[in-house]
Amino acid sequence: MISESVIEVSNLTKYYGKLLAVDQISFEVKGKELFGLLGPNGAGKTTTIRMICGMLRPTGGTVVVAGFDVSKRPKEVKRRIGLVPDISNLFGELSAKVNLEFMGKLYGLDKRTRRERINQVLELFQLKERQNDLVKYYSKGMHRRLTIAAALIHQPEILVMDEPTSGLDAQTARLVREIIIDLNKEGRTVLLTTHQIEEADRLCQRVGIIDRGHLIALNTPEELKNNTEGMRALEIKVLNGVDQQRWLPIISEAEGIDKVFLAEGKIRVLSKDLAHAIPTVVNLIDKQGGKIESISVAQPTLEDAFINLTGKTIREEPMSKEDYLKRRLSRSGMR
Amino acid sequence: MKIFKLPMLLMHSIYIAENDLRQSFKSVRHVVWSLLFPIFMMFTFSFREGTSGQEISFLIPGIVGMTAMFGSINETMSIVWDKSLGVFDRILAAPVSSTSIIVGKTIAGAVMGVISALVLLIIGSSLFGVSFVNISLALVIIVLASFSFTGIGTIISGLASEPREAMMLSNLLRFPMMFLGGVFFDINLMPSPLPVIARALPLTYATEGLKAAAVSGDIGVVLFDAIVLVAYTVGTMAVGSKMLMRLMTR
Repeated sequence: MISESVIEVSNLTKYYGKLLAVDQISFEVKGKELFGLLGPNGAGKTTTIRMICGMLRPTGGTVVVAGFDVSKRPKEVKRRIGLVPDISNLFGELSAKVNLEFMGKLYGLDKRTRRERINQVLELFQLKERQNDLVKYYSKGMHRRLTIAAALIHQPEILVMDEPTSGLDAQTARLVREIIIDLNKEGRTVLLTTHQIEEADRLCQRVGIIDRGHLIALNTPEELKNNTEGMRALEIKVLNGVDQQRWLPIISEAEGIDKVFLAEGKIRVLSKDLAHAIPTVVNLIDKQGGKIESISVAQPTLEDAFINLTGKTIREEPMSKEDYLKRRLSRSGMR
Repeated sequence: MKIFKLPMLLMHSIYIAENDLRQSFKSVRHVVWSLLFPIFMMFTFSFREGTSGQEISFLIPGIVGMTAMFGSINETMSIVWDKSLGVFDRILAAPVSSTSIIVGKTIAGAVMGVISALVLLIIGSSLFGVSFVNISLALVIIVLASFSFTGIGTIISGLASEPREAMMLSNLLRFPMMFLGGVFFDINLMPSPLPVIARALPLTYATEGLKAAAVSGDIGVVLFDAIVLVAYTVGTMAVGSKMLMRLMTR
């Protein structure tokens, strides 16, 4: 039931001074779609989202949301978007109810509507019993739920979520994912960012891969996986190899191997020429005194696709100074 | 600006101010601490040996002015905390104009200044028997002074990128003002360059106006001080709101 696009981003660019954070990004999010922007820290995801929500002025390019140009009609755009930021930014000194009350007022809801909606979201997110407690006493999971609740108070047609599950424990993260799926099923367009490949794979109908400010691929997770340009994956487990890590540099030296990394405790080898890669790797491990416990040709994953496209695993690079600077600049309050 | 938009613009400002003040008053400690300092100063200087009634009636109005300064600047600086906690994003993501945000923060700052000053005025006049010859003139000065200090608060908020920096900047401004602004020492008795510096500070005009309202009731002096405070408000708000505007519409 995917209809026409509700978010149109074209050639969107953002410089922080001389620092290029987002470089000519273009994509569309269709109505009622669950769309994900996947990329490592510092890729430009938050900057992109903030420009879409009218909180940051683009250096170049345009964003059109529900037919309104963000730079010309920011209020019309803001009215239609519910933003869930990456950190739970509620007023800690105030109760959940008062927080929601304030949000309702900012979105111009009258008193009766406010009361109805507040009750509705508090019940939906199971916060009713704690509605009068100060938010600073809430647990992380409750914070997250309330942050999402606050974004829904004006019943926006579009929900924009920045790293909705980052920093949450597994159980809460699962709950949040279920909430996201439900909200999407109810007919809301969802645009989210994530640096977790699994999350993008499981949740999103289409995924845009973003790296160093560029959008390098955009498709359904299935298509992204299938379209790895002949790249195939091999899964190897070395016997007694508590330290599988030690094999990575050895194998990566071999000819015909494109990428080697650890995934779920196994060595994952990507190669365009598996017929040659298999004997090469087996010989190499044997020569180095390793015993292979298992070896198999694996289904391509979204992570394989990501590595194929960017040449690196999503978590391999520590944050550079530049990334840190971009992170600071993309969050409000930093000039 | 279209006329029909005005009410919403103002309502937004009021909501923002209300939300700000609600937070400040929610944490009782915050309010008590910020008032404790001027109260402490009031007691220390009033109970000094040999302090005459006349000296006290000079001192209390000055402290009331100083309290307005502390209250307003502190409240306005909440912008910096809001930014660092990310709650400022909430307001930025909502369909609220930047003008409403600035006006809202200004209202909150001024209200806090007035309330703090009034508390000290009540304590001062009830405990030390200081009576104001013309209380309505004093109220005018308190309101105008609070607005001018709020303007300074917005400039600090525009300059500081994080709370510690804001604290440092505000102390850099507040403490010299406190000692040069005629609260504890008569500026006319200060050595040569100091009176000139004192004349450049808004607190000087606030204390002068309040002292006149308390002791002589000289309308001419109060009017002059009021005009200077209005000029200060206009000047600081022009600079401060420009800085905040730039920050919000990057």
